[in-house]
Amino acid sequence: MSATTDAWLVLAMPLAGMLIIALGFKKLPGRSAGWIGTVAIAASFIFALDALIKLQALAPSHRELSSTLWSIANTVGVNANATLLVDPLSVFMICVVAGVSMLIHLYSVSYLKGDEGYARFFAYLNFFVFSMLLLVLAGNFVLLIVGWAFVGAASYLLISFWYRRTTATRAGIKAFVINVVGDVGLVLGTFFIFRSSHTLDLLATFHAAPHVFAKGSGNITAGCLLLLVGAFAKSAQIPLHTWLPDAMEGPTPVSALIHAATMVTAGVYLIARMHPLFQLAPAAETVGAIGGAVTLLVAGTIGLAAVDIKRVIAYSTMSQIGYMIMGVSVGAYSAGLFHLMTHAFFKALLFMGAGSLIGAMGGNQSLDRMSGFRRALPFTFACFIIGGLALSAVPPFSGFFSKDDILAQIGSRGGWYWALYVAGYLGALLTSLYTFRMIFRAFLGDPCPEASELIEHGHLFHPAQPTNPANGEVEDTEVGFPGPDHVIAERARAMQLAMGLLALLAVLGGVVGIPKTTTWLEKFLAPTFANSTLHLNPSNTLVYVGLVLGTVIGLLGIAIAWFVWVARPGLAPAVAKRLRFLDRLFENKWYFDELIDAVVVRPAAWFGRFAQGTFERLFVNGTLIGGTTAVVRAGSAAVRSAESGFVRYYAALLVVGLTAVGLYFLIQS
Amino acid sequence: MIAAAVHLHGPYINWAALSPISALLVGSVVVLLVGLLRPRFIREQIVPALTIAALGATIGLTIWQWHADTAVISGALAIDNLALIMTLIFATAGIAATLLSWRSVAPRASAHGDFYALMLGSITGMVVLVSAQNLVTLFVGLELLSIPLYVLCATEMHRAASLESGLKYLIIGSVGSATLVYGLALIYGATGATDFSAIASSINHGHSSDTLLLTGVALVVVGLCFKASIAPFHQWTPDVYEGAPTPVTAFMAVATKAAAFGVLLRVLDVMLIGERTNWKPALAALAALTIIVGNVGALGQASLKRMLAYSSVAQAGYILAGVAVATELGARATLLYLIVYLLMNIAAFAVIISRERATPYGDDIDSVAGLGSENPLLAWPLTIAMLALAGIPATAGFIGKFFLIDALVKGGYTWLAIVLVVGSVISLAYYLRVIAAVWMRPAPGPSMAAAAGLPVIAGGSPEADRVTGAEIELTVVAVVFAAATVFFGIVPQPLFDLVQHAAQTLSGAL
Repeated sequence: MSATTDAWLVLAMPLAGMLIIALGFKKLPGRSAGWIGTVAIAASFIFALDALIKLQALAPSHRELSSTLWSIANTVGVNANATLLVDPLSVFMICVVAGVSMLIHLYSVSYLKGDEGYARFFAYLNFFVFSMLLLVLAGNFVLLIVGWAFVGAASYLLISFWYRRTTATRAGIKAFVINVVGDVGLVLGTFFIFRSSHTLDLLATFHAAPHVFAKGSGNITAGCLLLLVGAFAKSAQIPLHTWLPDAMEGPTPVSALIHAATMVTAGVYLIARMHPLFQLAPAAETVGAIGGAVTLLVAGTIGLAAVDIKRVIAYSTMSQIGYMIMGVSVGAYSAGLFHLMTHAFFKALLFMGAGSLIGAMGGNQSLDRMSGFRRALPFTFACFIIGGLALSAVPPFSGFFSKDDILAQIGSRGGWYWALYVAGYLGALLTSLYTFRMIFRAFLGDPCPEASELIEHGHLFHPAQPTNPANGEVEDTEVGFPGPDHVIAERARAMQLAMGLLALLAVLGGVVGIPKTTTWLEKFLAPTFANSTLHLNPSNTLVYVGLVLGTVIGLLGIAIAWFVWVARPGLAPAVAKRLRFLDRLFENKWYFDELIDAVVVRPAAWFGRFAQGTFERLFVNGTLIGGTTAVVRAGSAAVRSAESGFVRYYAALLVVGLTAVGLYFLIQS
Repeated sequence: MIAAAVHLHGPYINWAALSPISALLVGSVVVLLVGLLRPRFIREQIVPALTIAALGATIGLTIWQWHADTAVISGALAIDNLALIMTLIFATAGIAATLLSWRSVAPRASAHGDFYALMLGSITGMVVLVSAQNLVTLFVGLELLSIPLYVLCATEMHRAASLESGLKYLIIGSVGSATLVYGLALIYGATGATDFSAIASSINHGHSSDTLLLTGVALVVVGLCFKASIAPFHQWTPDVYEGAPTPVTAFMAVATKAAAFGVLLRVLDVMLIGERTNWKPALAALAALTIIVGNVGALGQASLKRMLAYSSVAQAGYILAGVAVATELGARATLLYLIVYLLMNIAAFAVIISRERATPYGDDIDSVAGLGSENPLLAWPLTIAMLALAGIPATAGFIGKFFLIDALVKGGYTWLAIVLVVGSVISLAYYLRVIAAVWMRPAPGPSMAAAAGLPVIAGGSPEADRVTGAEIELTVVAVVFAAATVFFGIVPQPLFDLVQHAAQTLSGAL
């Protein structure tokens, strides 16, 4: 079995899992849907690992394999085939995606135990994994677009999973609409590239690119900028980021899988995958790098003010993806992907921990209400600490190596890139601040009533009446709502196993890329980026200074957080009062929702109402539709009345038609 | 004796190339004779089985002869890829029609042997028609195709509508044949040749604006348009389709249409290619008219068969548009659409026949109401067939229309492509109505069904129509053809390759 066969099997497993669960859910007993889903992804992961081993057995220059199963349309100038591209980058991605997905499936088996839509959830989740794997394995633009759009659809389905919650459905629609903006960008970008390259195949495009595009020419720049729109929308980068915090309405495993570990990193993957094109469009690279830098700072500041625990992690996700986007945009490809991997580990871990907390809080997600869970949930606390330290880039946790790798490579480019370098370290300070603000507020201090209930009675707090934490609506748990029953993550084996493994990975994940020591990941990915014209090689000084700086900043952030939220509990509100303006700015998420509302939504809605009142009602409905349907109806009546059933009339019409055709030809003669 | 035979200078006959036609003829005779045997089992089971065997053999021999590309019987017939791909279409339609007729009234009412022998005879005529290389063979093929069909339409003899349908088809069909033969005579008169290639070279040598020739072309085009039910020569279609036994309707809708377009391609793109500047605008106008008339006429029809009859008129317009551009791409699109049309139409008719037998509503749209909850295995094929006929992506219908539009735009007929799209938009109104009935309307209550009694419109008496047991063959046909519709909508490459081979036959002329 070759690596490409493995790749097809990697895709087939979640697809099969989805079909079995979706078609057989009525007959599947108990919790078997969850186990089927988990096993499908586990099988997928095993094939992914096998592909990795097979690929390593080949010579480095022969590690770009493509496999075509069938031709979708190979005619008149279009070559759309069902082609997978198996190279170190895609194999790296499928290993991360399938591996993390497997653990999150495992976690969900317990987490969603009491939910009405148990089988539906796993069918969606398997569909998502299939789409994501299709996206990263796609060997041409057609499959890439299909995977890209499927992933958006899966995200919509899962955000709106509790479909009776108005907040959830609205968040789902918002995510879908913004993602479609990204889809349009991707499709148009593909068009710009296809127009000159005349091929949809990725490898062929990359080979052709240097010959058909002049560096910085209009077509390639437009194409890459449009691809960037797709990447920004999918990866929640400013200004297309507003859907991500709202997406936290979905069940917590969804947030962990889709909105932290995998889907939102698709933009990073896209830029890394298209690097031969982006290197021909320096303007697009610059836009990407600056966009990433701005996002990482803005999201970090909002994370400082948010009180919903899942939203804090969501903003942190945005901020971390900002690092990755910045990294891959300046040419630090393997570093960006390294951070993608470590981030998947520790962010999924943090979300799982948050799920455990939310379960204990009876669905409530507000940090204002939580405190003192340290004794009630010691295992969760440990996981949070590990995840938090990794996120804050404290050595020797995984995030430390990956973040510093990105920043050192950015620094090595010199010039104005130093600004990005500074922004990166500023962001690092914000990261450890908001991370430990969250941890300290949730776990330290006096136990809140929910925490004491768990400590004293050994069972979870259940609200008397289930309500939507977002707006307090009373919920009917029979249909489409989260049930009140949550599993105590501490005691459910499946959840413990998933969290434990991720914690282990969050600690050890950095081993694959310790600078100047173990550069395994970089070496592994090297064949994909062999044709890169950028060779960033940070000097030893830069690397070591970076490591020290990163450690100091990370610890400094934690110390400040301790000082502000533990040692001097009254300090935070006082500072907020002093810096009224900043606090309001952060709390209102830099008014991005309002900005988009004012710039895009309101004018569009106003124009829509105007057009509806005038153009639509008078012209479209009255003239166009009314007129057309009247014409069609009249035509229909005429045709039917000609259909009298009498042969003599038919013969007459035959003669008329014959005469007309005959006359035409006679005139021609 | 043998020595004498050797010295006879009869035409050389390539039996291998002729074998698909021979298989059909032999099958026809065998079926007719076996049908004379008394035992019921032989007549009702063995005869259809033999029919299918003959058609299967034809398919096998056709595939064997693929790329044979040879002329047989002194150039009277050409066994080339165009003829062979059409043979495949006819034989597939024949197998489906046999399965659909297997347990229906029509063969029983007309002695099984006769029914299937006529069908095989008609298919033979189609193959001869699309292989024809001269005017005489063309006319022989056309008559061999038409006359059995007139009889087949009238096989449900106890039902007035069936007889009426046969009679109407006979009368108007004869007018069409007369027109055609008159046209053929004029062309012969103008060029002095009956052979297609001889006529083509004669036209190229300065006869292109001859009045006699052009009148002949007009009459030939009209005669063939009649068979293909192109407006305004389509008027027999709804009446005949509605009245004929439904399996026969299904057969006519796909096979006759394919034969008519096969011969149109051959006549126009080979024989009359020198006249193309003259016939292209005429055909384009006819195609536009047909698309509009067919789609508009199908609106508001309660009878599914009548609706599909008008829809087949509209689809004929789409296909004619592919012929009208007179490019190789157009020929390819035409052939592709014929294949696709076969798949989606047979699926739809299989479901309609099944509902005709199971409900008291005959072919009324009520018969499929609530089918979605009652029998998903029939509901899905019907849904897919309707979506494919409307040209929704992920079905083969989309690929077919897409290819046609591509050919039209590249051939300089953008306005016709726009008409095609507008027609498709209108068509959604009646195709979606069926889907809405299938999924969104409740099934009519059992009490209503009981009160209405057994099928009346389908033309059966209760005794004759008692078909007990699940009609597995109908479900199988529906599911297989619907699955193929979806499959080729996702993996159309095999079809692209197939029609490319077939259209290369014409590329020398184009």
